[in-house]
Formats: sequence, C-alpha cells, structure tokens
Amino acid sequence: MSNLHAQVVVLGSGPGGYNAAFRAADLGMDVILIEKYATLGGVCLNVGCIPSKALLHTAKVIDEAEEMSAHGVDFGKPKFDIDKIRDYKDGVIKQLTGGLAGMAKGRKVKTVQGYGKFTGANEIEVEHDGKKQKVTFDNAIIAAGSRVVDLPFLPEDDRIVDSTGALELRDVPKHMLVIGGGIIGLEMATVYRALGAKITVVEMADQLIPAADKDVVKVLEKFIKGKYENILMETSVTKVEAKKDGLYVTFEGKNAPEKPQKFDMILSAVGRRPNGDLLDADKAGVEVTDRGFIETDKQMRTNIPHIYAIGDIVGQPMLAHKATAESHVAAEVIAGKKHYFDPLTIPSVAYTDPEVSWVGLTEKEAKEQGVDYGVGKFPWAASGRAIGVDRKEGFTKLLFDKKNNRVIGGAIVGVNAGELIAEVGLAIEMGCDAEDIGLTIHAHPTLSESVTFAAEVYEGVCTDLPPQRKKK
Amino acid sequence: MANLTEVKVPDIGDASGVEIIEVLVSEGDEIGIDDGLIVLETDKATMEVPSSDVGVVKSVEVKVGDKVSEGDLILKIEASSDSSDDEIKSEDSSSKDEQSEEQDDSEDASSESSSADKNSSGKNSSEEDDSKKASKSKSSGSSRSEAITIPDIGDSEGVEVIEVSVKEGDEVEEDDSLIVLETEKATMEVPSPFAGTVEAISVKVGDKVSQGDEIGSMKVTDTGSNEDDSDSDDSTDESSQQAEKETSVKDEPMPKSDYKPAPVAVAPYERNEGELIHASPAVRRLAREFGADLSKVKGSGRKNRILKEDVQSYIKFELSRPKATANSGTAASADLPEIDFSKFGDVEEKSLSRIQKISSVTLQRNWNLIPHVTQHDEADITELDQFRKSMKEEAAKEGVRLTPLAFIMKALVASLKAFPTFNSSLAADGETLVLKKYFNIGVAVDTPDGLVVPVIRDVDKKSVYQLANELAEMSEKARDKKLTAKDMQGSSMTISSLGGIGGTSFTPIVNWPDVAILGLSRNQMKPVWNGKDFEPRMMLPMSLSYDHRVIDGAVAARFTVHLSKMLADIRRTIL
Repeated sequence: MSNLHAQVVVLGSGPGGYNAAFRAADLGMDVILIEKYATLGGVCLNVGCIPSKALLHTAKVIDEAEEMSAHGVDFGKPKFDIDKIRDYKDGVIKQLTGGLAGMAKGRKVKTVQGYGKFTGANEIEVEHDGKKQKVTFDNAIIAAGSRVVDLPFLPEDDRIVDSTGALELRDVPKHMLVIGGGIIGLEMATVYRALGAKITVVEMADQLIPAADKDVVKVLEKFIKGKYENILMETSVTKVEAKKDGLYVTFEGKNAPEKPQKFDMILSAVGRRPNGDLLDADKAGVEVTDRGFIETDKQMRTNIPHIYAIGDIVGQPMLAHKATAESHVAAEVIAGKKHYFDPLTIPSVAYTDPEVSWVGLTEKEAKEQGVDYGVGKFPWAASGRAIGVDRKEGFTKLLFDKKNNRVIGGAIVGVNAGELIAEVGLAIEMGCDAEDIGLTIHAHPTLSESVTFAAEVYEGVCTDLPPQRKKK
Repeated sequence: MANLTEVKVPDIGDASGVEIIEVLVSEGDEIGIDDGLIVLETDKATMEVPSSDVGVVKSVEVKVGDKVSEGDLILKIEASSDSSDDEIKSEDSSSKDEQSEEQDDSEDASSESSSADKNSSGKNSSEEDDSKKASKSKSSGSSRSEAITIPDIGDSEGVEVIEVSVKEGDEVEEDDSLIVLETEKATMEVPSPFAGTVEAISVKVGDKVSQGDEIGSMKVTDTGSNEDDSDSDDSTDESSQQAEKETSVKDEPMPKSDYKPAPVAVAPYERNEGELIHASPAVRRLAREFGADLSKVKGSGRKNRILKEDVQSYIKFELSRPKATANSGTAASADLPEIDFSKFGDVEEKSLSRIQKISSVTLQRNWNLIPHVTQHDEADITELDQFRKSMKEEAAKEGVRLTPLAFIMKALVASLKAFPTFNSSLAADGETLVLKKYFNIGVAVDTPDGLVVPVIRDVDKKSVYQLANELAEMSEKARDKKLTAKDMQGSSMTISSLGGIGGTSFTPIVNWPDVAILGLSRNQMKPVWNGKDFEPRMMLPMSLSYDHRVIDGAVAARFTVHLSKMLADIRRTIL
C-alpha cells in the first residue's frame, strides 16, 4: 500500500470537486483529486446536466421541425436512429470529461481513481479494483455529491430506471411513467416524448416543480397537457408489478386511475439524497446529519477546521453552479483568503419545453417572509420575438420590494427562460431597482426585452402593453 | 437704510474647510464687538468666531454643518440705526422654538435680545403680537414671509415624510426639493413654490402629511412692486397655493448629482432603520475580507450604492482611529461590555464636551501609536525661585505677572538647542526625522471644557517678560474659547504643568507630532546633601515623556540633567 500526500485532497470530481481542485492548484497548492469513476466530472458531466441537455437539444429540433409543419414547412415524419442519438450524447460527454482530464494535467492536479473513505483526520483510503491506497492531506474538500433516492417498493427490473438509466437511452418505450414532477423527471419526459413515448407524470404535490410559483408552472402544465398522455397531480404510486408484458402500476390519490395501468418503462425521479453517509466521515471527526448532509460555515468549513465540504453534500439547492461557487470559496479559504460564500441568490432552471427559471424570491417565499412586494409581469403574447417564433405562451415576471423598488426575484417561463434569467440574477446581486432595469436599453427584438418591460410594467410606464390601470 | 457690513471668517490658522458646529446668532440679533457669532470645530479644538462689528444681524449666510475657510462670508450686519430697527426685527424673524408647529402664522416671534436667546420667542405673547403687527404695518414689501403647504399630491392622505432636504436658513430656488414624501406608489419631492430663504420647517422625517398641511415658512424676496400688506395674510395664502399647484404640475428638475469622489477616510455612517444596504458581490467580498460592517458604510455611488472606494475609505478610517474611542467618543468602548451602573445605585449621565471628545481621540491615538517612556528627575530651582520672587514686584510694575513657567520655557529652549532631536517630528514613513529650527513651546491649559494646548512661538527670541505676558494672554484666550487652530499648531515640545495643584510625578502623554512632553509637578523644599550636610533646596519634580522611537533612554536622561542645570542657574541659558 503506497502513500500519497497533498496539501489539498478533493474527494469527488463533479463541478464542485474539479473546480475546487483546479482553483487550489491555481493558487499554488499541490492537489490530489479522488474520483471513483474513470472519468472526471461527476454526475453533472457524466449522467446529469450535460447529457440531458444534449438529448434535450435533439428533442427540441424534433419538436420545432414538427411545429413548422403548421407553418408551411413539412419535414415529414422523423426517423430515429437511437444508437446515433446516444452516440451524439456520449460524444458530448467525452469531449467535456476529456477536456477536464487535460485541464487537470495542465495544472498538475494528480487524480486518483477509486472510492475514497476517511480513515483519520488527515487520511483517506482509496479503494479501486480491490487495491487500497492511503492518501494523507493537510486540508480536505469533501465534494462527494448526492445520489438518487430509491423508492423501496419498486421491484428490480431493467425497465425501471433512475435518471442515470434514462440517460442511457437504451430504447424508447411506448408508454412511460415518470414518478416525480420535478425538474429531472420533466426534462427526461421532454426527451422521451419527442422521441415518441407516451408520457404519464405522477406527482404527489398539487403542482409540477413545486419550488416554483404556481403561475409560472401553470404555463408549462398547460403547454404539455395535450402532449402528454396523463398528468396525475396529488397522486402517488403505491405498487408496481413487473410482468412480462409490462409494468403494472397501482396509483392512489386525487387523480388516481381506478385500475392498475400498464407501462413499458418507469423513470423514478423523486429526488436526490446527499452522500454524507458513505464516507466514514466520523473517522475524521466530521459530523454528518441524519439526512446525510455535512454542515459548514460560510467559508465551507466543516466542524473539523481543515476539512471543507461543498456542493450537494452540504445542502440545498443541489445545483452544479452552487457547488462551483462554493468550490472557489473553499479553495481560496485554504489558500488563506478571507472569502465567504455570500451570494444573494442562486438561479434555478428547468430545461423543459417551455423552460422554467427563477431566481431570488418566489412569490411564495416573499409571502412567507412577509415582504411587501410588487409584481411586474410581461406576457410574451406582447413580444414580437416570441410571436415570431410562435412561442408566445411564456411570460417574464419580476418581484420588487415595494419599500425601495429594488428587484428581489424573478421568474421566467418560455423558450430560453434558462438563459434569460441570468440578467435578473445580476440585477439582484447589483441591487438594481425597477428604474435601473427599465432604463437599461435591451436589444429589439429579443426575448430579453421582456425583462425591461416587466420592470416598466411595475413602474406603470410600459408602452408595449394596453394602457395599464393607474395604480391608486 | 444703513450700510451693510460683511463679516467674514478671520484667520483660523492653516485650517480650511472647518465645520461650523453652532451658529450663535440669528437674523435680527443685535451684536457687539467680540460677541461670538459661530463656533467652529477644527481638528484641535472648537473655537468661537467673534464679531468684528457692532450692529444688527441682517442675514446669516452660514448654517451648522457648513465648512468654512478664512475669508468666507458669515453674515451681514447692519449698523444700528433707530429708524430701521423695528423693520429689521419683523422681517428677519427667526425662531428655534420647536413649538412653532402650533403657530399657524408663518411669522414667528422675533427675538429681541441681542444674544441668540432660544427661549425668547415664547416669553411674552403680547410682545409677539406687537411684533407681528409691526411686521404687517412696516414691512417694506421687498421681502415677505410665506407659508409652505403641501401641494396636490393626488388622493393620498397621511403621506409619510421620508426626507427633509432643507433646513432653516437655507437658500432655495424655486422648484428646489424641500421635503420628500413616500406614497404607496412612489417617492415624490415637494418642490419649493418660491425662491427665498427657509425660515422654518415644521415637519420631520416620519411625520404624516396631507394636501394643504403647512410644513414651514419661507422668506421670499420680491423684485417686483410692493404687495399690499394689509390683506397679505389671506392673499398670500391663496397665491401660494396657486403657485404650488402650478409648480407641482411642472416637470421636476433633474436632481443635482450628489456624487463626490470618495474621501480619504470616512467615519462610520449611522444608517436609518430599514435603510437599504446596497452593495454588489465584489464589494461584499471586499468588506468581508476586512471585516467591515457594511451597515456602517455610507454609499457614495448612484442611489447610495456602496462602492469599493467607500469600503476602502471606511477601512482607512477604522485603521486610523483608536479603537477604544469609537466614533469620536460617543461609543467610548466598542469592545467593552455595556454595564448598567444604575443597578449599583443612582447614576447620572453627562456627555463629554466637544473638546473632551476630540482630545480623547487624539490622546488615545498618541498613547497607542507612540512608545512612551517617562524619565523622572528633579531640578534645583532654589536660586531661580529667589530671583523670580525678587523680580516680581518690578515685573508687576510693568504689568507682568512673573511665573516660574516663563523661566522654565527659556531653560527648555536652551536644552532643545543642546538636544536637537527633542525638537523634531518623526515623518509619516517612520524613517526620517524632521528637525525643527524654530522653538515654539506648547503649554497645556486646563479649561472648564477640557484640555487645550496653545503654542507660544519663538520662545528663543522673546524675553521672559514677553513670555509671561503671552502665557497669560493665551490662558485667557483658551478659557474664553478664543483660540484659533493656528494658536494650537507648530509646537516644538509641550509643557504640562500640574505644579499649581500638587503631586510628585506623573506620566504625560506625548502631544504628537511632538516627540517629547515635559510634565511638571509641585515644587517642594527638600533636604539635599551637598557633600557635608543637608541643605534645604527648592526642588522641582520633572517628568519627561518621550517617543522612544526617536529618543533613547540615555539621551533622555542627559536631557533632564541638562535641563536641571539650566534651571539650577538660569544664567546658563544666556551662555
């Protein structure tokens, strides 16, 4: 058993882990990056954000080609070569993970493949193919992420998959059940529907994407309603029976079908849980909560001062961009910088069709917190650009603190909502008020104009809408 | 009308942009020569600017908070003349009475006493009536008082005042913002309906106002023809409302940009409750790095955004000020817990005087920054004392009160000449010594308000009589708060004498930028061994505190020995 030592050891190479390792290396420290898989990048690059977006691009082109048939351009019925679609997706992954390996090398970050577990306060044991290796460190950054939550009543069956299995894209089922109307489930539903599957979504809550505001999600719900076979709100799955001819699912709840329904594939997407329980963190003295999270201070430090934790494992929201921001803080703090993880807001995006994005406070949260807020909402039905692309179902909504007219939140639903939300995030961080946004000239015709207009609506000066009733 | 005299800020030393902390007179006051007009606060002390003329204050051109420099106009005085007396009083009415809200007449009672008597306005209602009548009947028409009322602000009732943009005495142009209201919909400025001088503002932040509410009064100067005074009360009310309605319809002018480059060091800012803290991520990071509390940083950017420069200025200030005397003495000890002394018995709170607040900061700074050592010694002043006593009467005939201090100053200068490092200052870089070729001695003077240190210049060139006279003058000036900043600058070294009170020794704090200070305690007849027997000698205890960065212990000891020699035989000083 050989020994390795580094000033900084990073456990996990997802967006949090690799960014932490690279930042630490850039700050002049010697770094070891431990990853259990052969490729760097973690869930995000290998079985998450990136491959799903590659497939969503495919889905989008299919959908748009079909939409054009109503406007005089008929491409005919698309023919799918599922292997080539998969190859395209895998190529995207390969390009990015390969790029990471190159960047690690360029920074002299040593990568060690294997499953790492703490054996002491300054020691991790990495196991790979039955071989063990000790890695000692001055500082450690835990970036070991999260894993899919399993539903205990689901039987073992090839046809029942989680998001990783769905992204493998083995084939396209005729009838697909998506358990969980959250972001991951809906994104995969979007992909499989475009490829020809008939989709049923079952969700326990009374709206899809429960974290987002109802009016925003309503647009999505309305848009997919006719396209999906079924959307079962306030309903849950109680039993799945795997038979040769299909998976028989029993539902319970408000919209539950009476009889068991037959599906060819089930995607279980009911959430993710942190991996804090898999690391023997106690051997290093690091406290892990009952739910598997590792708590940190604002400098990403755990209860053990030289051990840091970042990303999904430290708490919600489990988003790559949050992990990345935290990773820099952790590396910089180790390097002696007095930095803090101190954002006002972290954006969320569902890459569904239409996309749903939000940042800052939602109306729900604003109400809960008793904030006296005002809303500026610009419907895309009045946007020339949205009409031009025949996607006018969306809207852009900004929330303002009535005390000072400062923007405190925003939500966008519609095509490209995920891109458009960035500006609102910047506005919140920079402390913009409605006037600042309204007076910032946006290019015409763009969807981004809708942000300006929403601010103008709040101010009562928007001239791209019918006359507003003057506020008393 | 009698001629107007302009009173300007006199020589106040090198200080420029000195803040006015008090205005002692108001329009209509009769003043005499040397009456205090305004009080300035320099970095050394507060100082009263006396009047150079006799007359009646016609207009006060400055207000508290203004920064002035030598030559700036303070006020205009009209030389006394009986015929115009009443008129002036009635026109230039002023009142600091807070109850002025209750007076629905726009003209406040005028103050009759020559000093700024804050209580006078409420003292006698019949007098007030008289003066009002006088104002009506004798007003020349060149200026008049106008009530300021809230114009049409839509349907809103009880709208909150969130900012008062002007204060008494401010000159405003028509349409200048007077107060800012916050309605449900937006904030709005109430523009001034007239050009003129604000006489009174009767609302404060937080008050709720509605259309038609009176918020104060203005003195409006007309260039046009005389108004008929007899019915001015009614007509002006209407016309002013008319004017307000008109102006409220007009486009509001662009607010003047109040952006200023960030100053070098900025004191903590007291944010109003609920006031926005407005800082971008990079600014927040900077603040975090230095542990700067953003809630105490005033933003100089657009819409009061806190800029990086603001954080830097704040940090500079925090570094430059002694920690324990936070915020010029008001939060005397940020790091120490607050104690409720009333638990232990009756207590009374008394705020420090301005001088005390200022000196607490400088003393703390000097104590913290200068490595102090105090060398104690005794000087035999038997002969000096005999000589002084023998000369006392002769001196008194010349009008001189001959004190030991005048002699000690002479002796000290002799020692400074022998030890030039004592007459120096350490340059800011800490690497060079500025040796001074002048011999100015600062003398600490205890005043009822606190400690001040006037400086006697060119001690080497002056006779003991001259020095004694100057000492007396300076002490008097200090007690009368007439010292200028210049009077307190440029010392070579400082003497702090407690000899008149008692004690055997103490450790004075070096008066930076000096590098040494001589403390004197009470002289005493002591038995001194002369080799054969004990002799009664008059011994003066000296405590020399010095900046150890500049002066070594051995040199300090030699210095006090040298000084003792000079004092033992004052004739040596002329050698």
